[in-house]
Amino acid sequence: MLNRKIPYIFVTPGLILLVVFLILPLVSIIWPTFYDGAFTFSNYAAFFDSSFNINIMWRTVKISLIVTLWTIVLGLPTAYYIAKANRKWRSLLMGLVLFPLLTNSVVRSFAWINLLGTNGVVNRILLAVGFIDEPIKMLYTEFAITIGSVYLFLPLMITTLVGILENIDEEMIEAAETLGANPWLAFIKVVLPLSIPGVLVGSTLVFTGTLTAYTTPQLLGGNQNMMMSTFLYQNAMTLGNWQQSGVIALIMIATTIIVMNLFNGIARVLDRRGGDLNA
Amino acid sequence: MAFVDLKDIRVSYDTKQDVLKDLNLSINKGELVSLLGPSGCGKTTTLRVIAGLIEPNDGEFNVDEENLTKVPVHKRNFGMVFQSYALFPHLTIFENVAFGLKMRKENKTIIKNKVMQMLEVTGLAEFSNRYPKQLSGGQRQRVALARALVIEPKLLLLDEPLSNLDAKLRISMRMEIKRIQRSLGITTVFVTHDQEECFSISDKVAVMNNGVIEQFDSPEEIYAFPKTEFVARFIGFENFITLNKLGEESYLAEDGSKFYSTAKTISNADKVKGTIRPDDIQIIENSENLDNTLSGEALVRTFLGKSYQYEVKTALGHLLVNDESLRTYQTGEQVTLYLNPAKLILV
Amino acid sequence: MRKNNSLKLIVIPVFIFLFLPLFIIIVTSFGEKPTIQFPIEGFTLDWYANVFRVGGFLDSFWLSLRIAILATLLALLVGIPAAYAISRYKFPGRQVLKQFFLSPTIIPGVVVGFSLFQFIVITMQIPLFTGLLLGHFIISLPYIIRVVGSSLEQLDVSLEEASWTLGCTKQETFFKVVLPNISSGIYASFMLAFINSFNNIPVSQFLTGPGLTALPTTLMSYIEYNYNPTVSALSVMLMLLTIGLMVLIEKTLGLASIS
Repeated sequence: MLNRKIPYIFVTPGLILLVVFLILPLVSIIWPTFYDGAFTFSNYAAFFDSSFNINIMWRTVKISLIVTLWTIVLGLPTAYYIAKANRKWRSLLMGLVLFPLLTNSVVRSFAWINLLGTNGVVNRILLAVGFIDEPIKMLYTEFAITIGSVYLFLPLMITTLVGILENIDEEMIEAAETLGANPWLAFIKVVLPLSIPGVLVGSTLVFTGTLTAYTTPQLLGGNQNMMMSTFLYQNAMTLGNWQQSGVIALIMIATTIIVMNLFNGIARVLDRRGGDLNA
Repeated sequence: MAFVDLKDIRVSYDTKQDVLKDLNLSINKGELVSLLGPSGCGKTTTLRVIAGLIEPNDGEFNVDEENLTKVPVHKRNFGMVFQSYALFPHLTIFENVAFGLKMRKENKTIIKNKVMQMLEVTGLAEFSNRYPKQLSGGQRQRVALARALVIEPKLLLLDEPLSNLDAKLRISMRMEIKRIQRSLGITTVFVTHDQEECFSISDKVAVMNNGVIEQFDSPEEIYAFPKTEFVARFIGFENFITLNKLGEESYLAEDGSKFYSTAKTISNADKVKGTIRPDDIQIIENSENLDNTLSGEALVRTFLGKSYQYEVKTALGHLLVNDESLRTYQTGEQVTLYLNPAKLILV
Repeated sequence: MRKNNSLKLIVIPVFIFLFLPLFIIIVTSFGEKPTIQFPIEGFTLDWYANVFRVGGFLDSFWLSLRIAILATLLALLVGIPAAYAISRYKFPGRQVLKQFFLSPTIIPGVVVGFSLFQFIVITMQIPLFTGLLLGHFIISLPYIIRVVGSSLEQLDVSLEEASWTLGCTKQETFFKVVLPNISSGIYASFMLAFINSFNNIPVSQFLTGPGLTALPTTLMSYIEYNYNPTVSALSVMLMLLTIGLMVLIEKTLGLASIS
């Protein structure tokens, strides 16, 4: 009889802790946004009414999209190169990619302050070469957030893709070649279609990551270019506006879930055709 | 020059040992040649050199009098069936088979006709719109074959195509492959580690060991007259006795008994190994001290169905003997063995 | 392979892109001027010494370390049995439960931080340290569930069954047979969770107070008011820490297990 109870005994502590310290707090900040004596959407209506708020949301989504695309463009060839490299090189390269991934994001964002600041490396080079007469303002712009985020998430995309690409049987590419496809065609017609699931997984991670990241927008964007996460922080800690913070929080959660399901849905549609084939 | 010619091919990885050294192989047009050997013998490497997936460090490769050694894979026009079949999971069966024709930029109608015809011939027409993962192992194998053949290749290359199938399917598929090969008259190279499979369908067999071809002959020739100890062991010879040359055709064993062989032999060495199949050793009545006889003690008897097999301990080692007389000999019983000189192979 | 050579056109710039900024940080940490410069003038180790004197970095480091270790240990304590139950027992709702345990990964970090701050600190008046610990526990748990869960999936159940037939009770079997065989998974998840907790910003950002700021948070506020090579020096030290951890992981498990 005790047998039946065991699984429940094992999961209960975790369950309780999560409910009390994750669900409950979430509910406590979100509930008041819907209910203040009566059930209402007014807080959300007010939020979406403000062009300032819409701008922030739009900026967040836009940057997330751009960052995702860049990580795909840069990450896919890199991951493919690593996946097809011989064993020694592969572990070395993976180690190199892993290192930034495990380094604190403050450090990684700080790196770009050094590069993009008015006295930063890029400006000094451009001035020295004579390309420009005055330093360009690159820091505290959307551009800075974008490049900082690409920098942050590229290793993630690469590691995700390497895993998938490794599974593409070398023999399939060889088969394509024996059928007359030169190496580039073989890549485009065989590898690319088969790597789409991996690209989708990576994109989900990068997109939602950029959407919700805090450090990079804070350090590289400043208060003029807020993203949803820094906006939340400002409302919560600086302005003490719990209501607004709750609204933002729910929108962030909702967006994350919607995006994840969207990508998963696309993956499932494509998977019907491709998927895992082990003869 | 033969239709396919490999001359002095050498392949080595990472400057360690040579995987293939001084490999020479000639294949005539329309022949089905198998590369047979244990894993690591170099048979797959040889096939991949032919396919162009590996560039040899030394040597020349010619097909139809054309030097193809430096020609890249996608220009060689050889159809290849991989061990894993390597079907494209994201394409339908039709699209898989059509792939090679698409690469050759053939006209759409022509492609459709050729593909559908090939699918009819291989019995796959009803699956043309399905995806590889919806097909069974045997069906996928046929798709791989269809895909390789539809491009009307100069050579057909098969890398252990049957090893992933169950026993019954393996037998029916190998006959299918032979039938198609014969009817198309296409020169074929077939890699396998299964001796029975190889012997049943090949015109010629190259038995390989450690990067070298030990014997290249018809299956009948290899079966009856293996040329080296390796080949003999590989095809099922169990008994080996050391012999020293005595005269023209006679040899002396370690225990002083005399042996001679009337089987074809090319051995001029002073020291050879005599080998003989268990079926070709007879248990005879008391020895009249003939040549080619040996006495020993029966150790273990097992029943094989049409004969009893005995492990016999002799002065020259333990020998396996198959006796069809069905007269059972007991453990410890002394027996006299006669090694048929016509079947005693010297390697 | 031929195609790999043309890929190098993209791959090499990518790696330069990834490492040049970090290299610049390293160089600037040695400059003598009190502002961050590249290239540097002079050479000094003063900024490294400064890390220990200034900004409360040392205290923050210890705090982050303690929190990371405690939170991860707690996550292991809670997570391993849960993962075991989910993988070995077929009870109704176990897939839902598994997704639930993994749910903190869907919630944006800032939201977790904010809600915890609101609920735990303000509403429930729980001390900040505990709140911080709970927050890090919550974000660490998914790593345990996922990695240990996967190790358990790969562990053949027949091993446990064989142990039972040989006379071991289920508890003994868990400790003598299961744990040793998933130890690499446990270790890998510990390292992953630890690194993640140590580096975490959103949660720590909200759960912060006098004398109780995690290292990333301290560093961030320091940067906003002090743009000098001390930041570079601390960054280098953090990078060294990362390398140290990676070496540790490589020697024991191989980095492949966490990538």
